[in-house]
Amino acid sequence: MNQSTKPMLLSAAGVAAALLVWQLMAVGKVAGEALPPVTTVFAALFTTLGTGAFWSSLGATVGISLLALALSAVAGVVLGILIGSFDPVRYATLAVLEFLKPVPPIVILPLAVLVFGPTQEMSLFLVAFGCLLPIVMQTVDGVHGTDPVARDTARSYGLKSPEILFRVVLPSAMPYIGTAMRVAAPAALVITVVAGLLGGGPGLGQSIYQAQSGGDYASLYALVIVLGVLGLIFQGATRAAERRALHWHQSFREVVH
Amino acid sequence: MNRTARNSLIGAGTPVVLLALWWVLSDQSTNAFFPPLRIILERFQQLWLFQHFQSDILLSLANLFTGFAIAAVLGITIGFVTALVPTVRWLIDPLIHFLRGIPPVALVPIFISLIGFGTEMRVTSIALAALFPVLIATVDGIRSVDQDILDVSRVYRLSRRERITNVILPSAGPQIFSGLQVSLQVAFIVMIASEMLGSSQGIGAMTLLAQQSFMIADMWAGILLLGVIGFAVNMIFNLVRRRVLAWYIGSRRLAKSA
Repeated sequence: MNQSTKPMLLSAAGVAAALLVWQLMAVGKVAGEALPPVTTVFAALFTTLGTGAFWSSLGATVGISLLALALSAVAGVVLGILIGSFDPVRYATLAVLEFLKPVPPIVILPLAVLVFGPTQEMSLFLVAFGCLLPIVMQTVDGVHGTDPVARDTARSYGLKSPEILFRVVLPSAMPYIGTAMRVAAPAALVITVVAGLLGGGPGLGQSIYQAQSGGDYASLYALVIVLGVLGLIFQGATRAAERRALHWHQSFREVVH
Repeated sequence: MNRTARNSLIGAGTPVVLLALWWVLSDQSTNAFFPPLRIILERFQQLWLFQHFQSDILLSLANLFTGFAIAAVLGITIGFVTALVPTVRWLIDPLIHFLRGIPPVALVPIFISLIGFGTEMRVTSIALAALFPVLIATVDGIRSVDQDILDVSRVYRLSRRERITNVILPSAGPQIFSGLQVSLQVAFIVMIASEMLGSSQGIGAMTLLAQQSFMIADMWAGILLLGVIGFAVNMIFNLVRRRVLAWYIGSRRLAKSA
């Protein structure tokens, strides 16, 4: 067999086998009605794709994720530059940020629902809260890790502070910010879904909750499949965007021998 | 005062000042959403120490650790097999990558419909959601083991078992641990989510219930507890990691100072 077709054939076989096992388990009623057959799920998926409600939920999910991501990127980079540029501020915020970092936004979901209600603002707030901290901390690291020689050289060439910020400090912090964004973008999607599922915010999370509580299991699986595809798109898009924005950086340059 | 002393004083002092500010500013608060810190701490003590300690805190933590342990063992094992046996890798690679794209919390409703609201559902949700980060990190870690080291170990005729335990496992270790850390965070999130979705036990359930029944101080007490647990679990993990990867962290430090 050809070297390059074998992996592809095996991959296809793997997917086919998984779908077959699923189908057999569903037809055999291993889990009763709660596990619908593949065929039913894909039929439900195509029906769902034809409804306006689905597309407006999808739009709400993507819109909330991207808007909150953009807000927290701008705020996070500005805050990160401020914190990273002044040592006392950096030390003052260190303990607080280190404490908050491992605390996921789902912890303050009840508070957000209490203050904002099950609204779009609630989702936006949660997503921004969840994405802001990693971006701030990475920016701080990047700003703090700027090569002091490059900074001093710029100063001795008579560059003013804003110029040093935009020509030396920010470019050298860019890979850190890029990493933070690559992690934050899929996280934004996840938090939007969480906010909808548990907090009643608009979007696909809410649709999943309704499908589950209404016993519409075929739609439940169809929506989860949609979310899986959406998650992959988010991951792929941010990776491509990072590569594009940072093509000049050595970790992305092609090695020339 | 010299600079380092001043900086560490600022570092240690700020959290204290912030907590003191919260205490003082909220003391006369009549805002329904932001009750005085004094009352929150009172409720914290009444609820968690120790009335609901066993019934809820221990229950949540036991689910968290069981789920995480299952995910860690399965993830590293499957990761090893996947990375070392090409046929297996080609078979399950697309499946893994698709499942990884699904937001972990979205799996909870599926497990609720399959197994109900009980402990099994929570542990299963946690284990499955936390499986993927460590699995993928293990595969990546093993695939990036230096080819020269592998060649050398072959030249020295190390057996397969020796190659795995003495060469591959240590050099993939740092990446496996980063995967485990992400898995732990996912496990914590899914622990809370699985409790918030319609169960009556656990810290997450109590916190959401307090919010829905407008017992605001209780809700704040729950948020505080979850925050502290999230922080503590991560800190313990870092201590373990530092211990296990001491050789790696030491060699990195040497390489940096050289």
